Amino acid sequence: MAVGEGRFVLYSRIEPPLEAGEYRFTASQSLTATGHTAAQLPVADLPTYVTVRSPRYAMPPDQVLSTYPPAGSEGSYGSRLPQVVIRRRTLPWERSVQAGVPRSTPWLALVLIAEGEAELKLNQPVAECVTPGRTLPGKADTELGSYLQIRRSVVHRVFPTRLDVPLLAHAREVDIHDTELMMGDDDGFLAVVIANRLPLSGRDEHGAETPVKYLACLVNLEGQFTELLERSPARAPVTRFPAASVTVKANLVEWDHARMGHTGTSSVAPPASFGTAPYAPGSTWVATGEQRGVSDVYTEMARDFSHAAVAGFVAGETVSLDPTLRFPVLLHWSFTSYGKVTFRSLMEDLDSGLLGTTNPAQRVEVVETGHLGLDHRTRRGDQVRSWYRGPCVAHPTTAERLPLAHAADQLRIIVPDGREDISLAAAFEIGRLLALSRPSMVAALLRWRQTGYQTARRRAVWDELAPFLTEVVGDYVLDPRLGVHLGRGLAKAVTTRPEELLGDPRPLATPGRPLALDGTPEQVLAQGFSLPAGVFQGSPSQVLSRLRGSEVILAREPGLKLEALAHTLNQVVDRLVADVRRPVDEPRLPGGTRPPDEPRLPEAPHRPEGPRITGRPRFPEGPRPSDPPRLPDGGDRG
Amino acid sequence: MRVNAETVLRDLPLALAEQPPVVVVNTDDEDGAIPAGLREWLVRLRLLEGVPFAYLVADTELLPPESIRWFYVDRRWTDALVQGALAVGTVNTDDRTQLTAQYPAVRDELDREERNLRRRKGSDRYQGDAGPVSGFILRSRAVSGWPAVHVRAFSVDPVEADDARVPEDGPGRMRLLRLERLAPAVLLCLFDGVPTVVHLEEPRQGVQFGFDTGDESGGMGAQLRPRNATTFEYLTGDPIPVPFRTGSTGVVDIQHLERLLASRVGSGAADGLDSSEYALQLVRFPFRQVFGEPEDTPVRLVFQPTISYQTMVTEVFRTGGV
Repeated sequence: MAVGEGRFVLYSRIEPPLEAGEYRFTASQSLTATGHTAAQLPVADLPTYVTVRSPRYAMPPDQVLSTYPPAGSEGSYGSRLPQVVIRRRTLPWERSVQAGVPRSTPWLALVLIAEGEAELKLNQPVAECVTPGRTLPGKADTELGSYLQIRRSVVHRVFPTRLDVPLLAHAREVDIHDTELMMGDDDGFLAVVIANRLPLSGRDEHGAETPVKYLACLVNLEGQFTELLERSPARAPVTRFPAASVTVKANLVEWDHARMGHTGTSSVAPPASFGTAPYAPGSTWVATGEQRGVSDVYTEMARDFSHAAVAGFVAGETVSLDPTLRFPVLLHWSFTSYGKVTFRSLMEDLDSGLLGTTNPAQRVEVVETGHLGLDHRTRRGDQVRSWYRGPCVAHPTTAERLPLAHAADQLRIIVPDGREDISLAAAFEIGRLLALSRPSMVAALLRWRQTGYQTARRRAVWDELAPFLTEVVGDYVLDPRLGVHLGRGLAKAVTTRPEELLGDPRPLATPGRPLALDGTPEQVLAQGFSLPAGVFQGSPSQVLSRLRGSEVILAREPGLKLEALAHTLNQVVDRLVADVRRPVDEPRLPGGTRPPDEPRLPEAPHRPEGPRITGRPRFPEGPRPSDPPRLPDGGDRG
Repeated sequence: MRVNAETVLRDLPLALAEQPPVVVVNTDDEDGAIPAGLREWLVRLRLLEGVPFAYLVADTELLPPESIRWFYVDRRWTDALVQGALAVGTVNTDDRTQLTAQYPAVRDELDREERNLRRRKGSDRYQGDAGPVSGFILRSRAVSGWPAVHVRAFSVDPVEADDARVPEDGPGRMRLLRLERLAPAVLLCLFDGVPTVVHLEEPRQGVQFGFDTGDESGGMGAQLRPRNATTFEYLTGDPIPVPFRTGSTGVVDIQHLERLLASRVGSGAADGLDSSEYALQLVRFPFRQVFGEPEDTPVRLVFQPTISYQTMVTEVFRTGGV
């Protein structure tokens, strides 16, 4: 639902689906099939353990969007209720405050404690953060927490009643585009907890205002909800102002006697020495007076009454010596309520004027143009006075813009009185220094300049080509992207007809050398072994007898081998040369001569073109082995 | 520049494949006359971001405590600031020639873009030439104690009333170019133009809750004007006196307040008060301070230089002059 800017929607509560705690979900399934009972088809249950976490003893700092009054501030807050705004909308309802209490009751309350009414203990183990004798079931979110140590009577005086607590927390939905109301929230839903007490400033005995320091505590009421009053006590149309803070230090023995009711005079009066007298009349510090039974005394002694120093705040009140309670404090801040200072009074008392308006008593040189005379130490060390005017001027300035300057000194102005006006020069220099202080900006500037140069070079080339291109294409306007199109067109033409532009592409597979198989198998076989042609002819016995008589060529006999090899190779070369149709006048290398630069086959009498260059197009003369390998795009091809 | 024909033929398609820079920028992240990252920084610089405070207000006497000082922004000063930043890395004449050639385009682009810095995401881009920029510096406890003060500027006095609500892009509403706390108690604000009326409003830091209070005999009394729970309008009739708990100071007796409210038709309490209705009754409106004199104000009332121009001409120029 769109809320609309500047509007908000209030909800009494937004309860989470699950309260904080540990849960076990069990998924079970039952199968049925014809001919089988469900017991025959068991499916194991799947337990899933889920922990729903929620703050309990400490509020994560990111959950607090704002507190009012501002923490640590001083002002006239007496007519505003303190409040805290929490980011998570469900937070006040995420825990059950006590068994038997409706879920709509928040477990949080914002209580306002005047200085001295209670004691805030910080960084205590969480087990000690609740009233001794009570424990909060379930896990704690932190190891250490804070608690408020407060007497039950004070709880009854300042804490909200059980019926009040649900009224003091609500949820608010604001428009997510409204940054003013959003305060940095992400979903537009906020939870708000309001206090039930106005932070009044104090009055001394003459009725003059005195500052009062207040502590606002977001307390956890879990398990101690019944400590709150069930319903409101007597009411009054006006409320008294708090009197000045008093501290009573009682004699422990006297205190005990008063407590146990063994003394005749059973009242503890504040010593006469303390500074401020109670404001309200009839202030006595009364304890119960009648004689008590032994069991009462024992019960009383078992309680926590060891705090002999009682800090009382409202001096007109009876301080009864009752047990202290502890409430975990999730969030606390303090502020001082004093004075008449409100936003309104501050705003209405503002001294409004144009920049340059000064107190005439102060000897500040301000001229009508807004220039200010300042001490100036020049580069040479001279102490002079110069004029300076910042960017904020009391008059509208000229709309004429400043021509580009390349150095600060270009902007120094000498005015007729001989002083310098360094306003613009100072601006130039601080701009330069600010840019230099950020290496990323320096890099960006240099990169930008580099790009500029490239663009300029491109433009220069283009300009130079422009007359020629105009001649070619006439009066048509050339698209600057002509180059791209040209390049792409060229690439396309080249790829479609490469033989015209680049040369024959190499075939995908190079054909091998044709095998010369002329003659009968016997002849071929004999030729392969360099035997006379008729060796394998005739009956096997003839063949064997001929083979016995024929000489075996052994590689170990160089002369013979070389001669046979040379003969064979010569034949091959002859055939190869004959294959080439082109008439070449180059004389064939005579048999037996060796190329001087053939390092690998010193015995080879001829250049071994055939077998060595099978993978390459055949050239009539072939590349010399010492030549660098040539690419097939050589221009000397026929 | 010497051009080798062979190089040109080889490089031309590649070089021209890069698009020439687009002049008018249409998105925030597009490079224009100047790369987007650099442009954003320069725009922020032009809005005096990062400029030491002593350069803005050269003497503390110009900004006494609890004062608000209005000003016009000197475009020449901010121009010099940007020129200084651009001058970084200009080493030789070529660099400076190039900068000179590009500077007008850069300046125009910065003029356009300085409006778009605070533009809300998704809204249309602002165009147009640079206009005058004005602003104020506020030094007050209100800045530190009430963070996030709302500032609204109007080119015409809102006709309805001072509490009219004009949308941010509505007619008559003037854009803020910058609103920033320079120090805990110093607020700087720049307007895109020269406003007629400026509203400073108490932050709605969580709408505040409270009562109308007043001293009475024996202590303090408070009153509450009940509101209609659905329309938020005040109900007719007398305000309700707020009951307090006896025995303590300032603690409101909410239960009895609920009973008192229940007797008022429309307050929503008849069927039992819930927390949202209670909060609704307690909402206090933030205070709004309006600056802007409907009459013409002579300059001498708002700006009194210690040295008048006449004195300057007759004495300073002559005695110190050459």
